[in-house]
Amino acid sequence: MKKVIQVILVLLLPQIIVFVVVTNSFNTKHAAPSEPIMVNYITKKHQSTMKTVDHSKFEILQQEFKRPQDLTLACLSCHTERHKEVMVNNHWTWDRKEKLHGRDTISIGKKNILNNFCVGVGSNEKMCTKCHAGYGYNDKSFDFTKAENIDCIVCHDQTGLYEKVKGGMPKPGIDLNKIAQSVGKPEKDNCGSCHYLGGGGNNVKHGDLDSKMNDCTREIDVHMAKEGEDMSCTACHTTQNHKITGKLYALSSEDKNRVTCEQCHTDRPHHDKIIDNHSYRVACQTCHIPVYAKATPTKMIWDWSTAGRLDEDSMPITEKDAEGNVSYNGMKGTFVWDDHVIPEYYWFNGLADHFLITDTIKNIPVQMNSLAGSYKDKGIWAESKSVSKIWPVKVHRGKQPYDLVHKTLLLPKLWSEKKGDSAYWMDYNWANSLTAGMKYLHLPYSGKYGFVETEMYWPLNHQVSPADKALQCVDCHTAKPEGRLSKLNDFYLPGRNHFAMIDNIGLGLLIITLLGVAIHGGIRVVAKKKLNHD
Amino acid sequence: MKVYIYKIFERFWHWTQATSIFLLAITGFEIHGFYSLFGYKQAVIYHDRAAYGFITLIVFAIFWHFTTGEWRQYIPTMKFVKEQIDYYILGIFKGAEHPTNKLVYNKFNPLQRLIYLGLKIMVIPIMVFSGFAYMFFNYPNQTIELSGLGPVAAVHTMGAFFLVVFVIAHIYLTTTGHKPLTSIKAMVTGWEDMDEKEARAMVISEMKHGLQKTKAHLLTAKDQSKFLDEALAETENILGVKKENKFHDVIANSGAGYFKIDRSGHYVEVNKAWSNLYKFKKQEDAFGKHYSLSRSKEAFIELERSFNSVLKGETIEHGLVMRKCQDGSVGYHTITMTPWIADDQIVGVEGFILDIDPEYAAKMEWNVNDQKK
Ligand code: HEM
Repeated sequence: MKKVIQVILVLLLPQIIVFVVVTNSFNTKHAAPSEPIMVNYITKKHQSTMKTVDHSKFEILQQEFKRPQDLTLACLSCHTERHKEVMVNNHWTWDRKEKLHGRDTISIGKKNILNNFCVGVGSNEKMCTKCHAGYGYNDKSFDFTKAENIDCIVCHDQTGLYEKVKGGMPKPGIDLNKIAQSVGKPEKDNCGSCHYLGGGGNNVKHGDLDSKMNDCTREIDVHMAKEGEDMSCTACHTTQNHKITGKLYALSSEDKNRVTCEQCHTDRPHHDKIIDNHSYRVACQTCHIPVYAKATPTKMIWDWSTAGRLDEDSMPITEKDAEGNVSYNGMKGTFVWDDHVIPEYYWFNGLADHFLITDTIKNIPVQMNSLAGSYKDKGIWAESKSVSKIWPVKVHRGKQPYDLVHKTLLLPKLWSEKKGDSAYWMDYNWANSLTAGMKYLHLPYSGKYGFVETEMYWPLNHQVSPADKALQCVDCHTAKPEGRLSKLNDFYLPGRNHFAMIDNIGLGLLIITLLGVAIHGGIRVVAKKKLNHD
Repeated sequence: MKVYIYKIFERFWHWTQATSIFLLAITGFEIHGFYSLFGYKQAVIYHDRAAYGFITLIVFAIFWHFTTGEWRQYIPTMKFVKEQIDYYILGIFKGAEHPTNKLVYNKFNPLQRLIYLGLKIMVIPIMVFSGFAYMFFNYPNQTIELSGLGPVAAVHTMGAFFLVVFVIAHIYLTTTGHKPLTSIKAMVTGWEDMDEKEARAMVISEMKHGLQKTKAHLLTAKDQSKFLDEALAETENILGVKKENKFHDVIANSGAGYFKIDRSGHYVEVNKAWSNLYKFKKQEDAFGKHYSLSRSKEAFIELERSFNSVLKGETIEHGLVMRKCQDGSVGYHTITMTPWIADDQIVGVEGFILDIDPEYAAKMEWNVNDQKK
């Protein structure tokens, strides 16, 4: 009996202890996965929906506005100082002072930056300023000090009727009176009327901003889903005195004024230490935006070099891909679209550089905006106040005109009302269009152009998926080539990286040992038989 | 022949360690990416918790090693290493004997000593330190910060491979004991089955050890009889010899002289050692002889007194006594006599004598005389 107890004590107890230690959760907080930690946020249920002001009661708004500027002046007659706030906001200035990563502080904004979609605003203002928060920005002579040109209603209209056309003017025939009486806090579609449509169509640019998000399911965006919190843009992009938080790294380069998940969820929201620790180096977005462009395809590639094919009537040819997306347009070139796109992953610490039109091309593809960061950028090695984290990024690849001699990017003049004005979309002549564009900016152009590959990086933030769709450990911790981080190779990642030599030696040793045991044991058995025989 | 060599804590510790290392290895290599078994996350959680458990066990084990003095088992020696290797390479196939015997303070062979010591002071500490570095210093805003996990993981992985290889070889080598399962059974029950020769060596070493202790006590010349009582009980205990089955055999083969005398005072059985000590040519020569022949006149009176007490049921231990040998020479030994019981009756006296080096005996006697003066 004593013996049995001893054997149990010696053999079974260890197994039980180890089992209990290993399966018990006393050293990990238990997960309640459906409920992330939340602070600083009042849920919809508890928000007040009462309107404090009814603008339809104000006499001054009950007039027929002849000019949209009259409406602005009516706003300012009560909100007497607001124009000062708006006129320093970059929705108005299209310009701001930013320090480029590793370079000087410069004036940079939509006004003068290049991208690899429609390339640049210069000489095409009238076309682009459809999305300017002002009236009459037709060319570089626009007067940024004239308050009456502020477009208040593009952000504040609540009728959903408002629409802007060339030069940022309201679509003719729109009922400004009705709109003026409806004004309120910006809702999704106020922001979306420009931000969904960047690049000339729905979801073209961002890939994670889509007009379908006005009314979407949790699968598409847990925050904005109708059946959930139905959050507006400003719920996260909190705004005071027309200072809107959040910024886009297509244009920004400093680590400031960022909107973060942490502002509501804290930096340890998971009830799970190991996952929480990941947030030291992994942005929330990385796991929680496993794919983007979930409702509508987004543009992945734009190749200007093939543009210019016209039909017999000298009209640009268009072609569509199997899904019905325009895959070729004679005005713009060749496109590749995709939906449910798997992001690419980069280290990012909130600092960025931008390729300016005066910069010389050194590397191809040209990086229109380069996100700074590396594995090493942390702790004592950190170069910004935030460490580099792994971010999901939409990379938009392009091919666009550059100067073969000066090795600079070129700005084409694309748009004009009439033919013969050097606009590419009228005359389909690159030489003239590029000469006109560069002349408009007073920049040198050798007259010899080619097309160069470019990349633009769009860190993803929207279209957060439900928790059960988030990435799992092995999506990154794997040596398989389809592993999410298979290209982010500047660090040792458990499960992905191996030291081939150690593995080879280790496995070799293992095999030798097993063989050794088999051989030694075999000989022993044989030898024993023989001994017994003798 | 069974001998008790692994104490209970030791066995508990061994199996807990085995389970922990097994679990750490299978979860570790899943994390390493060799296969998927528990699922990555679960593997990490299990690995981390098993590591904490393992560390706790190590703390207890360190404490145990030092409080029991068992750490001495791991003092390295190069003596017999070559013989041990030769044994595994050649001898084992020819049915040769193990080159070393398990002794009280030497239950491992020299190769085992070296390898277990290596594990204890190198591999396991390396695994623990690299493991905790892996766990704690890989993110910023920690006290110590690693520039990367690469070196840590490299060390940890190498150690892991080494441990796995060790475990395989270790398990295989357990089959080289007396019988294939001997060693494993021993680690479960504590009692190791040994062949007679090895057991004898063990017993003798135990006895030597016991005697050395006795000597030390005797030299203090205090309270000897009580001590000897204890010493005997302890010897039996430490020897771990299972009296009911094989005690007789052990004695028969041991260096201790064994004898059995009937009520009338005649030897009915003596072992080889006994007849050697008394310089009989053959054991049988002693049978039927009266015990008086082994003593001087004075000593006989004393012996007779003891003999009669034992017949009444007492157990008697004498310190040093002098014996008269067949060839006329004298020798010294200690003697223990207990009743010989058959069918619940005392039918005689049995006991054993342990030879004492004459030089030592002389010194003792001198001491005793000295004290008498
Ligand atoms: C107290 C001892 C140990 C500690 C603290 C420890 C800790 C760790 C940690 C923190 C990791 C990284 C993965 C994770 O976060 O779980 C790891 C990986 C690993 N561990 Fe351990 N471990 C210990 C003992 C062992 C033992 C005994 C073995 C094998 C016999 C082992 C084998 C491995 C392997 C193979 C890996 C994967 C390494 C890689 O691929 O980078 N560990 N260990």
